[in-house]
Amino acid sequence: MTALEGIAYGFGVALQPGVLIYCLLGVTLGTFIGVLPGIGAMAAISLLLPITYYITPEAALIMLAGVYYGAQYGGAVASILLRLPGTPQSAVTTLDGYPLARQGRAGVALFVSMISSFVGSILGIVVLVLLAGWLSRAATAFGAADYAAMMILGLVAAATIGSGSPVKSFAMVVLGLILGCVGTDVNSGAQRFTFGQTELLDGINLVALAMGLFGVAEVVGNIRDAERQGSPERVSFRQMMPGRDDLRRMPGPILRGTGLGSFFGALPGTGSTLSSFLSYALERRVARRPERFGQGAVEGVAAPEAANNSASITAFVPTLTLGIPGDPIMALMLGALVIHGIQPGPMMLEARPEMFWGLVVSFGIGNMLLLILNLPLIGIWVSMLRIPFRYLYPAILIFVCLGVYSVRGSAFDIGVVAVVGVAGYLMALARFSPALLLLGFVLGPLIETNLRRALLISRGDPLVFLERPIACGFVIATAALIALSIWQARPRLRRNTGESDV
Amino acid sequence: MQRDWADIWGGAVLALTGLAVAFWAGTRLEFGTLRAMGPGFFPSVLGAGLALLGTAIALPAWRRGAAPVPVRPGDLAAVIAAILIFGFGMDRLGVMLACFLAVLVASIPAPRSGWGWRLALSGIVTALTVAVFVFGLKMGLPLWPDP
Repeated sequence: MTALEGIAYGFGVALQPGVLIYCLLGVTLGTFIGVLPGIGAMAAISLLLPITYYITPEAALIMLAGVYYGAQYGGAVASILLRLPGTPQSAVTTLDGYPLARQGRAGVALFVSMISSFVGSILGIVVLVLLAGWLSRAATAFGAADYAAMMILGLVAAATIGSGSPVKSFAMVVLGLILGCVGTDVNSGAQRFTFGQTELLDGINLVALAMGLFGVAEVVGNIRDAERQGSPERVSFRQMMPGRDDLRRMPGPILRGTGLGSFFGALPGTGSTLSSFLSYALERRVARRPERFGQGAVEGVAAPEAANNSASITAFVPTLTLGIPGDPIMALMLGALVIHGIQPGPMMLEARPEMFWGLVVSFGIGNMLLLILNLPLIGIWVSMLRIPFRYLYPAILIFVCLGVYSVRGSAFDIGVVAVVGVAGYLMALARFSPALLLLGFVLGPLIETNLRRALLISRGDPLVFLERPIACGFVIATAALIALSIWQARPRLRRNTGESDV
Repeated sequence: MQRDWADIWGGAVLALTGLAVAFWAGTRLEFGTLRAMGPGFFPSVLGAGLALLGTAIALPAWRRGAAPVPVRPGDLAAVIAAILIFGFGMDRLGVMLACFLAVLVASIPAPRSGWGWRLALSGIVTALTVAVFVFGLKMGLPLWPDP
């Protein structure tokens, strides 16, 4: 199927009323979640996972994807109006978005962020179509050793490239891999860490784990903090019209941001947060007057928003063509597909074209819907920011419990949410990343299976990872990342004796 | 100077978890060989790795200072209690009572005094929950306690 045929086919899937309605639901909910500080796309997607049992797999994927990129649009609203990032990806937008709002140009900042998000997404879709076709052809040559090496590279990249201490990040990845071992071993049938609980035979429930780590932990952390935000000013559609000077400043940053975003989004393990930070840094470097940044530069809003939206689209490339989630949110998406019995991989474009092309077209439709939702209706979202968190969070908790319970009618899983919730709250306080734990949890069984298969085929010879050219490339990249993070850690250790490390 | 207790405790808990995992997997599951890995291979190696990483987090933190982490045990307790009341009360108390009680308990740490709004919120959330989940999505849950 060529790209044009595929897109025509995708329209047939995405325009079905039963799919379109879930696309609209997903992007609306995503914007809502993104606008509210304190609840991220991660928590929202885990909340929605149980609902996806009742709908078709393509509608499920399209809805969850809508929540993800919808949250990127909404996240900018709280960042600009309150200097509170609605999502981690929009944290950079506060740097110039909030100063603009203080100068009475909040409407313009919102307009710039919405248009940049839209253009970034649309260009991201083009990159997705081109890359996915090429990669799924290349990936048919992949063997078990190559898959195992690539997934390990993904985990190492996620642990070393993100913010925070790499040792703590590695520990979280390993803990996630261990939790992924719980349940019945696929090869031998042995029970691992089940302690006689029949509920654990299929492993720890992904929905319960994600809700505990993100839903509960974020609620507890925000009970007090989300109340201190104050109220935003009203913004009307008319105030959003940018001046000629603003319009002239937008195209360059949007294109550079999109370029960076689509590149880093498609790499496993890096993701959209990194690309928005990098694109901001790039704009400041290429600017003729870098001192304007931080004082309300339009470029400082346009570039990161274009970057994080294009990255959130191209992040689907490794997930759908290789079956390897690039970031923890993609890990949840992969989990949702596996629940429906669909194993993404190189064959998916051929075997399940309705999933891939339906999703691609839904990206286009969803982004149009978001533009409509966010430009004329911006006032509604701004007034959402006035709802105090104290009225929302008890309802969120009830929804968490019923969501987990609905998966298989098990009160045991609600107990898991409570236990994981305590751990997740403490982890967030001590700056141990729960997102990396989840990435390890989802990738763990895939890595173990491929590792065992690769070594069985090679008769126990570990050199297979160096003899196969594809695997060898991944191994070299992994080693380089580890070496780089050790090299970066050394001077910091010496400087930091006796000083706090934040 | 305040030590970096968050990393000391975090690292220590992770190291002990790793040791326990490696011990449990090493004694109860077959390790196998590199060619034919047993079910214990992956968890044993990972457990040992976690023990090392945990130690590498905790030890340097001992000589390092950090701002104390503001733990809010009250907020955490109220939220967890609400989850448990609802999760394990649904079958016995029925959705009405379990939901009302859970929302009431969850709202205790909210930074606004008075019980009036808390009772009202509990009533509204309970009504919405019953309307959406019991009547709307038709989840088979008892409304009232079983006599």
